[in-house]
Amino acid sequence: MAETDIKSRKDLLDVESLSIGEIEYLLKTAGPFKELFRRSVKKVPTLRGKTVLTLFYEPSTRTRTSFEVAANRLSADVTNFAVSTSAVVKGESILDTIETLQAMRTDYIVIRHAASGVPALIAKHTKASVLNAGDGYHAHPTQALLDAFTVREVFPQTEKKKILIVGDILHSRVARSTSTIMRKLGMDVSVLGPGSLVPKGRPDYMNAFWNWEDALAWKPDVVYLLRVQMERQEQQFFPSLAEYHRVYGLTSERFKQVEGEGIYLMHPGPVNRGVEIVDEAMTYERCLINQQVENGIATRMAALYWLKPGEDD
Amino acid sequence: MGSERTLLSGEGITEKVNELAAQIRKNCGNEVPAFVGVYTRGVTLAKRVKQALQDEWPEIALGTLDVSLYRDDLDALESAPKLESSDIPFGVDGTRVILFDEVMYTGRTTRAALDVLMDYGRPSRVELAVLVDRGNRELPLQPDYVGLKVDTEAGDYVAVRFAEDDDREGVFLNYG
Amino acid sequence: MGELILFKGGQVAAEDSAQLQQLDVLIEGGKISEVAAGLTAPEGAKAVDCAGCVLAPAMFDMHVHAREPGREDKETIATCSEAAINGGVTGLVLMPNTLPAIDSGGLLQSVLDIAAEKSRIPIFQAGCITKGRAGKELAGIAGMKNKGAPLLTDDGDSIADAMVLLRAMEYSKRFDLMLAMHCETQELSGKGAMNEGAVSYRLGIPGIPACSEEICISRDIRLAQYTGAHVHIQHVSSAEGVATIRRFKEAGVRVTCEVTPHHLIFNEQHVGDYDTHYKMNPPLRTAEDSGSLQQALVDGLIDVIATDHAPHTEFEKNSDFGSAPFGITGLDTAVVSLYHHFVKSGVFGWDVLVKRYSAEPRRLTNLQPVPIVEGGVAEFIVFDPNRKTLFSKDFMQSKSSNTPFLDQELDGQIISVIKDGEFLLSR
Repeated sequence: MAETDIKSRKDLLDVESLSIGEIEYLLKTAGPFKELFRRSVKKVPTLRGKTVLTLFYEPSTRTRTSFEVAANRLSADVTNFAVSTSAVVKGESILDTIETLQAMRTDYIVIRHAASGVPALIAKHTKASVLNAGDGYHAHPTQALLDAFTVREVFPQTEKKKILIVGDILHSRVARSTSTIMRKLGMDVSVLGPGSLVPKGRPDYMNAFWNWEDALAWKPDVVYLLRVQMERQEQQFFPSLAEYHRVYGLTSERFKQVEGEGIYLMHPGPVNRGVEIVDEAMTYERCLINQQVENGIATRMAALYWLKPGEDD
Repeated sequence: MGSERTLLSGEGITEKVNELAAQIRKNCGNEVPAFVGVYTRGVTLAKRVKQALQDEWPEIALGTLDVSLYRDDLDALESAPKLESSDIPFGVDGTRVILFDEVMYTGRTTRAALDVLMDYGRPSRVELAVLVDRGNRELPLQPDYVGLKVDTEAGDYVAVRFAEDDDREGVFLNYG
Repeated sequence: MGELILFKGGQVAAEDSAQLQQLDVLIEGGKISEVAAGLTAPEGAKAVDCAGCVLAPAMFDMHVHAREPGREDKETIATCSEAAINGGVTGLVLMPNTLPAIDSGGLLQSVLDIAAEKSRIPIFQAGCITKGRAGKELAGIAGMKNKGAPLLTDDGDSIADAMVLLRAMEYSKRFDLMLAMHCETQELSGKGAMNEGAVSYRLGIPGIPACSEEICISRDIRLAQYTGAHVHIQHVSSAEGVATIRRFKEAGVRVTCEVTPHHLIFNEQHVGDYDTHYKMNPPLRTAEDSGSLQQALVDGLIDVIATDHAPHTEFEKNSDFGSAPFGITGLDTAVVSLYHHFVKSGVFGWDVLVKRYSAEPRRLTNLQPVPIVEGGVAEFIVFDPNRKTLFSKDFMQSKSSNTPFLDQELDGQIISVIKDGEFLLSR
């Protein structure tokens, strides 16, 4: 009965602070939620009367929709708080927004922000449960959970399995959170990317490869391709998208090898076809991208189910 | 801790399971029902009654329900309950369904179980079988098949223990 | 004036003595008339029981942001000088990065005028190296020297254009003004908000590599070597920065440097979960770096301790780590925090504290040190190591309380501050 002892938390801000027990609990809980999707009525009354506010300072239709579907299926009322995403949003306006949110007495806040640490700041100042839907380069815990859930579907025993994360490791909160969760689940984590996008300060366990040949010789079980952030291109971390594709992308040739060895493919979406991944890889039977999307809803339901908003005064 | 009284021994449970099986057999006539157990021990009870009917009705379908997501007291709990898989491996529409729970008490679990079941489809009829009915209802629901009826106080605790789920077998009343 | 006060039973700290001396101190008016063991109070003298306490020369902070003019919501010269007294500091050099920046003799005089009226301790105003701190044209150097600028600095920013700096050095050398340099290579710091490394990776905060500072230290000293100017490296934060300064000092270049209490005490790990009270520039580096700084201070390589007292409003510091301003306050807390973290445990003694936070900064500002000796000026603190100080908002005299020590209780308390024979502070 030990698993029932996993105490609910107020917030889900990062992967780092989740214990292995909490991660296992969330992954196990996501299973029954995924089963709901096969029923005629996909909705359960668990969060009836609760309100979920989505607060996206960075546009992301996919993640927001995933949270909205998750909340809807738990019967919560979902409101989208429209915030300006055009200008760089300064810290000042966040504190003001927190006051507003507190007054709205919402139960859950789903937030995405371009600055690392903003969800933690909001969590500190509000009684609502805060779910970090991505902050700066810092963390994207529900992405990590859905990735872990997806890997567990193909490898029920993750211990000693190998995942290769490819792309912009420096600016990627997905790389940070997903590598952290995979490591906590006992996997070996390596990265592959341009020298300018693989940070020196990465953790010791994160072995780096600098070309595909070496990386594939490591025999990964899963290759996780990160999205190339086109908007970062002006800073010139690599010479051109064409060169990126040639050197670090999953080209047709490399895809053939991946397919031949039965390596699973993952990607957080949305995909830049022809940059980090070739078209034909999208229909590969071991390409898990669509499962990731479906699992995103189930794991976000599990997260909402698990969190408990703070008590009112 | 209050004192404990044994309401049913292991043999007593077997006897009651057989009685439940006989009542169900008699009531259903030629219509083979589907069984649905409510986690955790309702599932075990359903399995045992199915086993008792094995010779006559080997074709009884058995499903499981976890009502955690439908509970009305989630806010009061410190932690979210661990979820189990709800698995209804048969078409619910038009089926006669018998729900199994080990103890009937306030009726709130039954209410939740009915809600879950309805979200799977529209059964032709739903009945409720329990091993122990301890009274103290808070909702207007009554079981159709009862193994043992016992009067209790609200503070008491009726513990059904099955060898499959627990380290002992029997039904025990702990006085509050 | 002329009041006789005997400080009895205390131990006297001096810059050149690792051991505290059990000495009684008699002051008369603004002067120390007698320092000896076992003094008895002359007739009419007031006696102050200093048993268990340390008497140390009052401190002098040559790196302070008083925010006046321009950001009086953060600090004023009045509140800043009271914070100094609260922390046992009786003289300040104010940085000129105010609004407007102090880049002419007239502006400098206006600050001194405010100080004369509002401050109970001497205030010195540093002047800018370049006009508006823009790093392009030289500021009114002769005029500022004329009004008493003790040094020139564009603190807050480095001077990106090496030619501008070279000319500034050649020019100011003739006015015998040292240049205090904030060292940073802007292109390398970019949008960074903390030291680049494992912690910045974990928190997803853009990093400032230590080499951003180190390259600039190296360039600035090299230019000083070439021009013969005196450069003072402000708030050195890394082991390599220290090693660079050491190399040039050994080569005979006129370079001095300072370290802040926070770079000695803290490291990047203290940022924890985005605590903006640990956001400063240069950023807190690694534990190895702060160890090297402590070592260099003990070695005598580092000339001066200075706080880089940088008040910011609670509102500003309460924003996300990337948006919050750099800098923390230091005047209220410096002596007690250094005692608590280093002197108490013997990392260094009172002699280092006195030399580096009282005597040397005065010398670098062309002032006389204030040792506790017969015939000296009566300008010292009485410090009780057996008491504790709770750095509550109420305790702090600075208008801002953006310090990691906020609401912490540390060992030691400054119970008196004496200047010119008067008690500026007495608890």
